[in-house]
Amino acid sequence: MTAKKRERLDVIKDILQTIKDNRQIKPTRLLYASNLSPQMFKGYVQELMEKKFIKLDIDGKEGKEKKSFSLTPKGQSFLQEYKVIENFIENFGL
Amino acid sequence: MTIASLILENKWILELIYAFVICAICMVIVFITDKFYRLSLHQGIRYFRNAFLFYGIAFVGRYLFGLFSDISFGYAFVAQIFFEFFLVMAGFFLFYSLVWKKFEQKKTYYFTSLVNSKIILFELIALIIAILDTSWRTYYLMFFSQILVFFCASIIAFYNYRTKDNKKHKFLKFYLLAMILEFVAWVLNYLAAAYFHWRHLVLVDIGLINSIFFISILCGVIKITKK
Repeated sequence: MTAKKRERLDVIKDILQTIKDNRQIKPTRLLYASNLSPQMFKGYVQELMEKKFIKLDIDGKEGKEKKSFSLTPKGQSFLQEYKVIENFIENFGL
Repeated sequence: MTIASLILENKWILELIYAFVICAICMVIVFITDKFYRLSLHQGIRYFRNAFLFYGIAFVGRYLFGLFSDISFGYAFVAQIFFEFFLVMAGFFLFYSLVWKKFEQKKTYYFTSLVNSKIILFELIALIIAILDTSWRTYYLMFFSQILVFFCASIIAFYNYRTKDNKKHKFLKFYLLAMILEFVAWVLNYLAAAYFHWRHLVLVDIGLINSIFFISILCGVIKITKK
């Protein structure tokens, strides 16, 4: 028996929740935690950054930069509303 | 004074209140669902929101055009096309919000949901229906299209009710009932036009059923999105 394929909204919620739990997380760690292929992960991260749900923080000197993702207020808001949105979609069969 | 004569005497004011109530309900639904669409970018929510936006525009249009309906034939022609186009499109949007997953990739994102490769087809059909109906001075094509749309929507809502967790998602049952109610309302509309010569009491019944449909959707939207 295979596990049910995650819906797009679930994947987004999982990524955001992981970032929230870690406050800041390196791209590689987030990739492992997300359980996605690198190509899919790139697509989702790009989408989340375009939507301004997450931001990429770059610290340190040039050549020794440390990259990490963190949640924006819009991302926080999405996580809070996620349950409501999911419930809405299920109840109306959308 | 009988109820029938009371209704007849106050027909204009009743229509005004009816249009206002439906518009207000639609605008609240659009306002709430738009907020959730902007957060999730979920296409189903987007089409659902569009359905009520179009219902709202159709009723506003009917009221506004109705105020000056006696001016000229050309004016009445445009008014009916406007009203029918938005009403038929609203039904199509509501139906498409239930089936969009079968026709669109989940990652597909259209810049606009009002003019895209899928919706343009519905818009063409709605425009043809509105123009033909107006030219033939009937509403039959609109009635038939909406009877078909809500018949299919009722079947899909029934399928969702049976296959999804209806104990957890209690509104599935009410959504199914709302779809059936709207199907009945459209059948009654057809009967009123074809067999009852637009008898006013039949129209009042249709208005009541329509109001119950919109109010039940509004209640569902508010209840489910309440934190």
